[in-house]
Amino acid sequence: MIRKYIALLRMKYIEMLAYRLATFVWMTGAITQPLITMFVWMNIHPEESESFLFYFIAVIFVERMTSAWDVWELDREIREGTFSNLLLRPLHPIHWAIAENIVYKWLFLVILVPVWSAGAVFWPALRPHMTGSRIGWFLAAVVLGAALRFLLSYSCGLLAFWVTKVAAVYGVIDVISLFLSGRIAPLEMLPPQLREWSEWLPFRYMISFPIEIATGAANRGELVRGFAIAAGWLLVLSAVLQWLWRAGMKKNQAVGG
Amino acid sequence: MIRVSHLYKTFRVHRREAGWLEAVRSLWHRDYRVVEAVKDVSFTIEKGEIVGFLGPNGAGKTTTMKMLAGLLHPTSGEITVGGFVPFEQKPEFKKMMSLVMGQKSQLIWDIPPMETFLVNKAIYDMDNRAFNQTLEELTELLDLAPLLDKPTRSLSLGQRMRCELAAALLHRPRVLFLDEPTIGLDVHTQENVRRFIVDYNREHETTILLTSHYMGDVAALCDRVMIINYGRLLYDGELSVLTEKIAPYKRLEVRFSRLPNVNWSGYGEVAEVEEGTVVLRVARETAAETAARLLEQFDVRDINIEDPPLEEVITRAFQEEHV
Repeated sequence: MIRKYIALLRMKYIEMLAYRLATFVWMTGAITQPLITMFVWMNIHPEESESFLFYFIAVIFVERMTSAWDVWELDREIREGTFSNLLLRPLHPIHWAIAENIVYKWLFLVILVPVWSAGAVFWPALRPHMTGSRIGWFLAAVVLGAALRFLLSYSCGLLAFWVTKVAAVYGVIDVISLFLSGRIAPLEMLPPQLREWSEWLPFRYMISFPIEIATGAANRGELVRGFAIAAGWLLVLSAVLQWLWRAGMKKNQAVGG
Repeated sequence: MIRVSHLYKTFRVHRREAGWLEAVRSLWHRDYRVVEAVKDVSFTIEKGEIVGFLGPNGAGKTTTMKMLAGLLHPTSGEITVGGFVPFEQKPEFKKMMSLVMGQKSQLIWDIPPMETFLVNKAIYDMDNRAFNQTLEELTELLDLAPLLDKPTRSLSLGQRMRCELAAALLHRPRVLFLDEPTIGLDVHTQENVRRFIVDYNREHETTILLTSHYMGDVAALCDRVMIINYGRLLYDGELSVLTEKIAPYKRLEVRFSRLPNVNWSGYGEVAEVEEGTVVLRVARETAAETAARLLEQFDVRDINIEDPPLEEVITRAFQEEHV
């Protein structure tokens, strides 16, 4: 399996280099929305500019590290019939997607960490105040968030076996997640009812939760509770994905040819 | 090697009339139609055979092939390929077969073919020696050397098809499904691909099932053909037997120095007459005798006795209810 992953990672890396411009636009394009949102909030609450600055830079970092585009890929591959090529090979197609995620996120990491570090030299507000173990928890939460978003995106993508243009379905989920994951505003600013829902839904654990660890907003008890709920969602989404996969294989029409 | 019995595949297809109002109506009222793509198909293919699978567009060829390759679940019936049930999608099954679709590429589009080969090497668990040896052999047979490091998207159709075949054969499949492997290729490249397939089959005893629109492919490659139309298997047997059954005549093409003014119906059925040449359809048994009579009675410059063209045979076969 390790050998297969090395080959896939290498291939995805070469493929990424073939799409240099697209990758760059993709990287910078995703930064625009949080930056604008940040300036809006800074304008509304100028006295809290510094905490918004840290929060939204963290959003950029966590959002990129957990982003998932698999629904669009699967939608296209299944609709156009190219998915068959992956199905014919003796390796589950999900590994191709995982390898792609690793390669792109590695690139994001290599770009974002130096940029954040350089920023922290000039703006003290960007310096995280985390102890060693908190950094560990933060990174673990980012990985967990990436896994959750990946599973959700891939599961939605599998719906393409039943409906065409499934990305529209994901679009709705994405709008909900915009608010409940903390991308528009820190979750503490949500109305109490929404805030309570957000704790039980998976979206918080995709972006907000790691940031809460980084800012110190989550105390020890919340940390344990958060990881427990996120792990629960990980199991649920894995089960959903497996079920969709099995049902989808029966439904597959292997279009084209 | 391949066993298929009483295979059925039905699809439920959403039906919509053309037009704007119909489009609105179909939003809440959906009509479905059941399409029987494959109906009660049974056949057996032994190890090392090359079988041609013929039928017009939409006859059920590709659907059958996709079921054989494990991409589609059969609605009912049984399939085994090399002892495996294809739709269970076991890795061991996938390692012993390959499906090449002329219309679809397994090569990764934006990077050179060699990268796809290397990924396949890892995915199919090939060791270095086997991989290098097979790649070397295929590179030579298919003349791949100048293509391996160019991005796939920049290859011509013929070049891409050669790489496609190599990608499909690297893991030495024992069963090869070829769906329109020569589609869109020029005559010369078609010829090369055919020669390669024949040689490869002889050398490695690979079992091959091939669909094609080009009768040339079938004539050159297959002794045995299966004809399918409207999802039903109409004929399964030797190509020569089919020709005898469907078109029990020979074509006599006779060129004269000067076309004599004769009633040709005494010799055979007239297919064409033009500029000193007559083409006659003559019963197989009497073809030689008729040719001799013509040579004796007229000033014949040239005479040709041949089987009817395969296109004609197949087109007739498609029209038959049962062959």
